[in-house]
Amino acid sequence: MVSLHGVQLATHLISSFYGDLCSKVCECLLRRGTLTLAQIIRFTELSRENVINCLRVLIHQNCVQAFAIQQEGAFGEAPRIITQYMALFDNMIHKMRAPKFMQIVSEELGKDVGSSDVHVVRESFNRLLIARFIERCPAPEPFLAPPADGETPAKKRGAKSAKIGEERQTTEQRALAAAAPMDSMRFLMEMDDLSEEKSEECTNSVTVGEKRKQDVLKSDEDVLDADKKKEVLWRVNFEELVRRLRHKACISYVKTRINDEAAIVLSAMLELSRHSETWQKAENSAYLSINAIYDEVIKKEGGLGMDFERIRASLEQLGCQCLETGVESVVLRRYGREAYRIFRLLSKAGRFLESDKISDTTFVEKKDTIKILYKLWKDDYLHMEKVMTSGAKQSLFLLWRVNKEPLREHVLDEMYHAALNLRLRIAHEQDKGKEILQLPREKLVGELEKRYKLLGKVRVILESSLMNLDEAIMLFHDF
Amino acid sequence: MAPRHLCAMVLCELLASRGWLMMLRGMSRRLVNPSLKRKRPETDSPGLVDAERAILDSIKGKKDLGIWARDIKQETKLADHVVNKSLKSLLAKKLIKEVVNIQNKGKKHYMAVEFEPSKEISGGEWYVDGNLDKELINVLKQLCLRYLRTQKVATLDGVYNDLKKNRVVTFDISNQQVSEILNSMVLDNDLIEVKSTGLGDYHSIPIGTVCYRIASAAGVAKGPKVGAFASIPCGACPRINLCTPNGVISPGTCVYYNKWLSIDF
Repeated sequence: MVSLHGVQLATHLISSFYGDLCSKVCECLLRRGTLTLAQIIRFTELSRENVINCLRVLIHQNCVQAFAIQQEGAFGEAPRIITQYMALFDNMIHKMRAPKFMQIVSEELGKDVGSSDVHVVRESFNRLLIARFIERCPAPEPFLAPPADGETPAKKRGAKSAKIGEERQTTEQRALAAAAPMDSMRFLMEMDDLSEEKSEECTNSVTVGEKRKQDVLKSDEDVLDADKKKEVLWRVNFEELVRRLRHKACISYVKTRINDEAAIVLSAMLELSRHSETWQKAENSAYLSINAIYDEVIKKEGGLGMDFERIRASLEQLGCQCLETGVESVVLRRYGREAYRIFRLLSKAGRFLESDKISDTTFVEKKDTIKILYKLWKDDYLHMEKVMTSGAKQSLFLLWRVNKEPLREHVLDEMYHAALNLRLRIAHEQDKGKEILQLPREKLVGELEKRYKLLGKVRVILESSLMNLDEAIMLFHDF
Repeated sequence: MAPRHLCAMVLCELLASRGWLMMLRGMSRRLVNPSLKRKRPETDSPGLVDAERAILDSIKGKKDLGIWARDIKQETKLADHVVNKSLKSLLAKKLIKEVVNIQNKGKKHYMAVEFEPSKEISGGEWYVDGNLDKELINVLKQLCLRYLRTQKVATLDGVYNDLKKNRVVTFDISNQQVSEILNSMVLDNDLIEVKSTGLGDYHSIPIGTVCYRIASAAGVAKGPKVGAFASIPCGACPRINLCTPNGVISPGTCVYYNKWLSIDF
């Protein structure tokens, strides 16, 4: 499930881009999970027509995925096929990254990808495809076959899915997997527009730079235009863009934290792994031989002259400490230097430590240690357990630890909150200064000119902070 | 005099004063060697009335843990005024002493003079009169940093030997204490802890040995992107949990934002 402020941020973005009605549908799906059309209408209290139009927009914009599932009939009725809709939270958040994505594309491919000349468009399209910035759209409504008799979907998929937990999450992952085009087809350009690979060919989405509209039909066909001529449709490949941004942030981090050489090695490794058929998550990256890394390193500027020994030394130092450093920065600024030491001790220890031990190791007075630990615990940065010893003399011990995964989710939620705050403040400043912003240039003199410049300065601070924060959000989300 | 020398002089003077105090403590430990007690066991409490003897026995029984005044009263079942009078008398006769219990500095804690407070009572080697000796800790940190700045990388033994060799520390400091200082500097991100690879800067250090080096100048808050959250008001805000879009605390009305953006009210 999406965190509280993640939902608020996504809803705010959808509202900014597509209006309040769409944001209401989006919020409903994010808060309540996967729903049918009837359920969405009931919970949002919007008219059927409005919900259908909103779903259509959200599906077009890759913010909602539909899928068909078999529902058991009640009271001896035959099973029937129903359509359910799931929110695609990540794609909603990507809406605020469009300028960044455009920058990556223009840095790599130049600025002429937006031209309207058909030959230039086709050429640009091919270049975008080769760079994997675009991909085939997923199927609009894949059908999920019911699990085999006697097995729940969680059991069927084995230990890994069992770890995920609830059956509903497994259904959604199945839906995404079923909708996604095959790996071999994902970036494949056909000569003509017709494609026979899958019967559930995508019939809606965004082609490069354009929107499509659908005719209104009955039931869930109102939302999904099943009769439309099958053709290949393409969309932005967010996965590749996020991967590029994540790599850039990691290299920059390593350069600052370790040295230039380590950054060169990491850059080479990431370049080598970029085109492998791996999932986005860091832990599934392909292993690379030292020879392959060396070959790539010496091609890099500054890499010539590096020998194996120095590469080995650099690799030893390469550990992804991005997340820990980010959280530690917050603890330092919010709670002070002693809290920072205490938090780092617990983070490095990775296990329970008792209050006195923490006090002794961090050189913080015992009473201050307890106060700081309670503050961090109250704000969900630490986990605490009480242990009472029995015997002649009963003693109460307080044990503390950092639980990394819950902490990551908590900090990520705070970052969504901060991103929302920045956006709201930008809107607030724009609104406050709209009279000045609407004035013609020649009238901006004296005091008005000062205020105009101040508005510009404020906007730059807020927008650049939002961009930087967003990159940190991407790192936190994906690691 | 060059600032470097002046600094070293100031450090030495401070350490000397600490050393002098530490030597006195050590001397007092030697002076109160229980040999006197052993020579005349039956006369270590001459002229004591029964109440005083009972209280002294109670205090001695707690050895290096000491005992709180109220616990003495409960144990001996003596009246308050009797206990108080006896304690004053025993203190005057230098048979017992008052010590600070770090667990509760406000309460009077008593101990027989022949014992030194345990770590549980005193807080340990880094505590003086129940308070953390922050000045000493900071001085030792500066000395370690000074040495590490002259080396690209150093082991614990290297730092310890430097402190001993240059006699900058006039009292006995253990390897363990230096290790604690270095670890706290790692936690402060002043140093980073690495393991020797035996190559490059580590060529003279056995592979796998724990070493220390000065952390990079970029530090924590200035790190790229990952420090982005900490560098905006929300990252430092103690009220973020109370902040809502249209609430009393909101991004539109936030005073931290106003200050950050240097906007007048």
